[in-house]
Amino acid sequence: MPSVSFEHVRKRFGDSTVVEDFDLVVADGELLVLVGGSGSGKSTVLRMVAGLEEVTSGTIRIDQRDVTPLPPRERDVAMVFQDYGLYPHMTVRENLSLGLRLRKIPRQEIDRRVTWAAGTLGLAPLLDRKPKQLSGGQRQRVAMGRAMVREPKVFLFDEPLSNLDAGLRAQMRIEIGGLQRRLKVTTIYVTHDQVEAMTLGDRIVVLADGRIQQVGRPIELYRAPVNRFVAGFIGTPPMNFVEGGLREDNGQVFFIAEGFSIKVPRGETAKAMEPLTLGIRPEDLCVDSSGDRSVEAARPGEALTGRVVLVERLGGTPCASRPARARTRPAGASPRPGRDGH
Amino acid sequence: MKTLRRIGLYAGLTLAALTFIYPFLWMASSTFKPPSEVGTLALIPDQITLDNYRTMWARAPFGRALVNSTLVATTITLAVLVLGSMTAYAMARLQFRGRPALNAATLAVLLVPGQLTLIPLYTLIVQLGWIDMYAALIVPYLFNATAILMLRQFFLQIPQSLIDAARMDGMSELRILFTIFWPLSKPVLSIVAIFTFMGSWNEVLWPLLVVRDQQLMTLPQLLTVFALGGGAGSVGVSLASAMVLVVPVVIAYMFLQRNFIESMAGAGIKG
Repeated sequence: MPSVSFEHVRKRFGDSTVVEDFDLVVADGELLVLVGGSGSGKSTVLRMVAGLEEVTSGTIRIDQRDVTPLPPRERDVAMVFQDYGLYPHMTVRENLSLGLRLRKIPRQEIDRRVTWAAGTLGLAPLLDRKPKQLSGGQRQRVAMGRAMVREPKVFLFDEPLSNLDAGLRAQMRIEIGGLQRRLKVTTIYVTHDQVEAMTLGDRIVVLADGRIQQVGRPIELYRAPVNRFVAGFIGTPPMNFVEGGLREDNGQVFFIAEGFSIKVPRGETAKAMEPLTLGIRPEDLCVDSSGDRSVEAARPGEALTGRVVLVERLGGTPCASRPARARTRPAGASPRPGRDGH
Repeated sequence: MKTLRRIGLYAGLTLAALTFIYPFLWMASSTFKPPSEVGTLALIPDQITLDNYRTMWARAPFGRALVNSTLVATTITLAVLVLGSMTAYAMARLQFRGRPALNAATLAVLLVPGQLTLIPLYTLIVQLGWIDMYAALIVPYLFNATAILMLRQFFLQIPQSLIDAARMDGMSELRILFTIFWPLSKPVLSIVAIFTFMGSWNEVLWPLLVVRDQQLMTLPQLLTVFALGGGAGSVGVSLASAMVLVVPVVIAYMFLQRNFIESMAGAGIKG
């Protein structure tokens, strides 16, 4: 049974359309990640599920029930906000239990759920503290606990890790992933960070300008992006793009760009010298820093010549940049700036 | 050299502080002086007496006026806080047709001097038959544009995620206002409360226009009638009645002033 379904959902703010024809089904227990740049409409989609934004047209269903006209409290969803949204004047315990008290849940049941969430998230010693007495990570856990105690049908996460430092972000990412798998609650997770999207999502939806660009498992998006936006968005360092065209020579197909040519597999037909974009993942390139130009002559169409102008040492993976019109970020060897490479 | 400069600075500041506080202390101490001592500049009376207060209380219904003033000022302050914050919340955080016009209209009200509306307002009160009624003292002050704009500005700074979280938790807009916004807005609520209370407490002109019955007069009104009408008879009695007027405001200020500095807003969000 589908847990959340969007049927041609559209959202307009005044004259501008921020979400256009959003049509998607999120399976029961699935962790779906909405990813995209600023202004792509991902948070708006999430807020429409929460009931915090009205839908201009279309329908949103949760467990087949049309929730489009319902206020947030009647939707049985819980949300974790980017800046946590904890009530500063209440203790952790009060923050966790307020939603339940407003729903007139019996006191014993409230205590049971608060104890369970606090135990699961390691918040038990902090229950009588106020948010300002907690670290960023602890506040994030309280925000998650507040969603958990509600035992909702759907969890909504709106860039929950973007205010944490890199180390804590990685740790919390693992915790969120583990928690979601344990609880098996349908989750929609919004992020602009494609690493978060790749590591957390069962499926990823890539959004740009309010439109779905591609939906699929992380590896599908990485290996078979349907357009240049998805290709460039997914993957770190990002894919290299080179403008050029095809030419056939002695039964072999070459991609010709200004300054180099490279042999490509014969695939979809393309007219000779029709403007095309070649995308190359950085890890599909390697640097030969010997300076031996005979390599290029011996294996035509398999080597690019250029001068490395910048090396970003990321630890295990150095990143080399070449100042070509065809910008590339090859990786794999240990290049040095100022040396010729192929 | 640095120490000398510091000593000079503190001496100057102390002198300035004394300049401000001395008249008030002199007034307070003079209310306990017999008529023969009132003319002196000394702060500590040679002989302490409560005669000025007894005389004041006997000559005019100051007890009743104190009750009237308290009732009027407290009602107006509570109304301005409750109704003002409801209006400010709507203007700051709700989307509705005509919101920009409401904002502009509220701002425009500030540009109209109060004296300009006295006559139309007086005519209205006469037409309503509210002369010599508490309603005439209270109703025209239930809404206060300055308070609304101050509260609106403060409410605009409260993070949207708190409102969203409260809505997800199942709160109505009124509940969000009083359960979430009010506790976070103590500083601005205190300022609005003190200014409204003081403004209402010290108001003389309007009560003089709409109340003639001595039993309904507010304290400053009665004090004006009493002192200017020659009812006081002596400076000591006039000062005693002025003291009765000032003390509640000072108490209210002491009660609320710690909230001026303390602000909890922002503690539950990132950072």
